[in-house]
Amino acid sequence: MIRFLSDDGTPTGDLPLSETELLRGYRAMVRGRLVDDRMVVLQRQGRMSVYPSFRGQEAAQVGSALALEAGDWMIPSYRESCAAIEHGLPLHQLILYWRAHPAGWHFPQGLRLLPFSIPIATHLPQAVGVSVAGRYHREPWVAMTFVGDGGTSEGDFHEALNFAAVMNAPLVFVVQNNGWAISVPTHKQMKNTKIADRARGYGIPGVVVDGNDLVAVWYAAREAVRRARAGKGPALLEAVTYRMSPHTTSDDPKRYRGEDEVERWAAKDPIMRLRTALEGRGVWDDAQEAELRRSVKAEIEEAVREANASPEPAPHEIVEQVFAEMTQDQKWAWEALRDH
Amino acid sequence: MTSERIQHLDRDHAHYLLHQMLRVRRFEEKCAELYQATKIRGFLHLYIGEEAIAVGAMGVLEPDDAVVATYREHGHALVRGVSGGSIMAEMYGKQEGCSRGRGGSMHLFDSETRFYGGNGIVGGGLPIAVGLALADKLQNRRNVTLCFFGEGAVAEGEFHESLNLASLWDLPVVFCCENNLYAMGTALERSESDTNIAIKAASYEMPAWTVDGMNVLAVEDAVRKAVDATRQGGGPHFLEFRTYRFRAHSMFDPELYRDKAEVAFWRDRDPIKTFTELLKEQELIEDGELVQIEEMVAAEVEAAVAFAEGGTWEPVSELTRFVYSDGSGL
Repeated sequence: MIRFLSDDGTPTGDLPLSETELLRGYRAMVRGRLVDDRMVVLQRQGRMSVYPSFRGQEAAQVGSALALEAGDWMIPSYRESCAAIEHGLPLHQLILYWRAHPAGWHFPQGLRLLPFSIPIATHLPQAVGVSVAGRYHREPWVAMTFVGDGGTSEGDFHEALNFAAVMNAPLVFVVQNNGWAISVPTHKQMKNTKIADRARGYGIPGVVVDGNDLVAVWYAAREAVRRARAGKGPALLEAVTYRMSPHTTSDDPKRYRGEDEVERWAAKDPIMRLRTALEGRGVWDDAQEAELRRSVKAEIEEAVREANASPEPAPHEIVEQVFAEMTQDQKWAWEALRDH
Repeated sequence: MTSERIQHLDRDHAHYLLHQMLRVRRFEEKCAELYQATKIRGFLHLYIGEEAIAVGAMGVLEPDDAVVATYREHGHALVRGVSGGSIMAEMYGKQEGCSRGRGGSMHLFDSETRFYGGNGIVGGGLPIAVGLALADKLQNRRNVTLCFFGEGAVAEGEFHESLNLASLWDLPVVFCCENNLYAMGTALERSESDTNIAIKAASYEMPAWTVDGMNVLAVEDAVRKAVDATRQGGGPHFLEFRTYRFRAHSMFDPELYRDKAEVAFWRDRDPIKTFTELLKEQELIEDGELVQIEEMVAAEVEAAVAFAEGGTWEPVSELTRFVYSDGSGL
C-alpha cells in the first residue's frame, strides 16, 4: 500500500508534492469537510433532501480530483460531492443538486462533469464511453470515474474494466474502499478483499493507496492520469478509506457497526494527518487555520443564500433534460404539467 | 496426454467415449439437414467440433449433479441422458419435446436428469448455476453443478457477479468455459484484453486450469479433478477448454470473420477423428466395432426423427399456458 504519511501524520520520508501542492490539497480537504458538515445540517433542518456524506473520504476524493487537468472528465457516483466541487462544481449548484432542484444539474458550460450516478456502478460503462470519445473529438482528455467497494460486485464494474482495457481507454477507475456497502462489510462481498487485485484479470495495473493520506492518493492518481494520457490505457486505483458518516442521512450505522471501529478510523482522519505534516514543516498554524475556516464558511453561506434565491422549480421541469430533444410523449407531459 | 494415460485406457470406456461423441455429431448433422428441410425452424447452433468437452465432462458426473448449459447445448443434453426423441421433438416444436415444444433448440430442459437448460441469453446460465449450487450447499447435499458457457460470456457482468458469489460462499460449482475463440463474429482478442481466460478466475481466488478441449481424455481428467475437489468441499473451480466450432455460429451466419485455413487447421484436430485414430493405433478398436457404433448411432438418430415426426402440435387454445404458474406444481 502506497503511503507517505503515517497514521498520526508524520511523514515516512520525502514527500513527492511541493509545499504549494500540499497547502492546496489541505485547503481543499478543509473546504470539503465544512461543506459536508453544512449539507448535513441543512438536511436536518429540512432544507435538503437525502444527502450522502463523504466525511472521512476527503483525501481520497481531493487527491484524485487534483490529479486531473483542465479538459479532463469526471464521472462521479453519489458519494463524490467533494471530488465534484474540487473539479469545479459551484457550491450553490451542489446544494441545489441534492435538493433535486433542476438548476442543480444545469452544469456550467465547459464543466466536464457528469451528474452524480445514484444507481450503483451503472455509470462505469458510460465512463468508458466518455473517455474513448476524446479520440473522436481529437482532444486527448482523460476521464476519471469513482465507485465504492460495493459497486465492484456489480456486473457493470466487470464489463467496464474489460471494455476499458480492450479499448485501451484513457480512464482511471478510483475505487474508494470504505469498508461498507451500506451495511454489508467488504468481507461479506468478496473473498479477496484486495480490490486492486481484480485489475490483473484485465491486464491493467492495480494500485492500493492509503486513502486517508492525501499525498499518497494525489501521487498515485497523478501517475495513473499521466499513464492514461500517454496512451498506456486504464488503471485501477484502490483508495482504502472509511466512511465516518452514515451511508446517507437516512441510515443508522449503529445497527451494523461498532463505535470502536469508527473511533479507530477517527484517529486516522485525513485532514488531521496532513495538518500534522504541515505544522511539522512550520508552514501552517492556528491563525491560518482560523482564517481558512472563516473564509470557507463565508463562501458556503453565500452559496446557501444563492441556492435559496433560486425560484421554486415548476412541475413541468421534471420532464426536461431527459433527452437532448423531447419525445412526443414528453412534450405532451411537459405541456400538461405547465398548463396544470 | 501422457502415454501412461493411454495405456490405462479401458477398452469399454474408450468405446463409450467414442460412441457418445458420435451420437452428438450424427445427431447434429441430422439437425442441420432437417433445418434445410425446414422441419426445424428458428435458431440452431451446432456444437460440431466441440463434442469432446460435453462427452468428457458428463461421464464424470453423478445422477444428482446438476448441469447448466448455453444455447449450443444439444450435445450436453444428449450425453447427460435426455432422450434423443424428446430433444428432436423439442426442436420440431412438438408437445412431446422435453420443453413441450415451447423452447426449441436453445431451451432444452429436463429436471429428471437435472439438466437445467440451455439458455438464449449469453451468460444467463451462470447465476442460475450459482443458485443451484447454493441450494445444494444450504441443504447439505453433496452435489456439484457443472456450468457451461462460451468465452463471449466472460465479458458479461453476470460472469463477474457469479464467480464473485460462488467464491465468496464456497459453492460447489465447476465453471466450464468453452473457448471456441469467436463470440459470434467477434474474435477473442477483440473482446478481452487478456485472452488467457483462466487467469481471470485468479481474481476470485478460484483454482483454474486451461485444458485441451479437442482431447476427450484431457477433458475427462480435468473435469474429474475439478469435480472431485469441489465435491469434497474445495469450493468452486474453473476450467477453460480451448476448442473450435467447425460450423458457423448459427444457421444465419455467413462466416465472414475467419479464414478457411484457420478452420482447416482446427478440423485437423477434430476430436472424433483424432480419438478414433488413437484407438486404432493402440488397437483398442477394430473396424467392425466402429461400424457397429455408427450403426447404433444411426438407428438412434433415425428413431429420434421418427419420434419427432410422429409428435403432436400444441393446440392454439394452449397458447397462454405456462406464462405464469397455474399453481399446480406448488
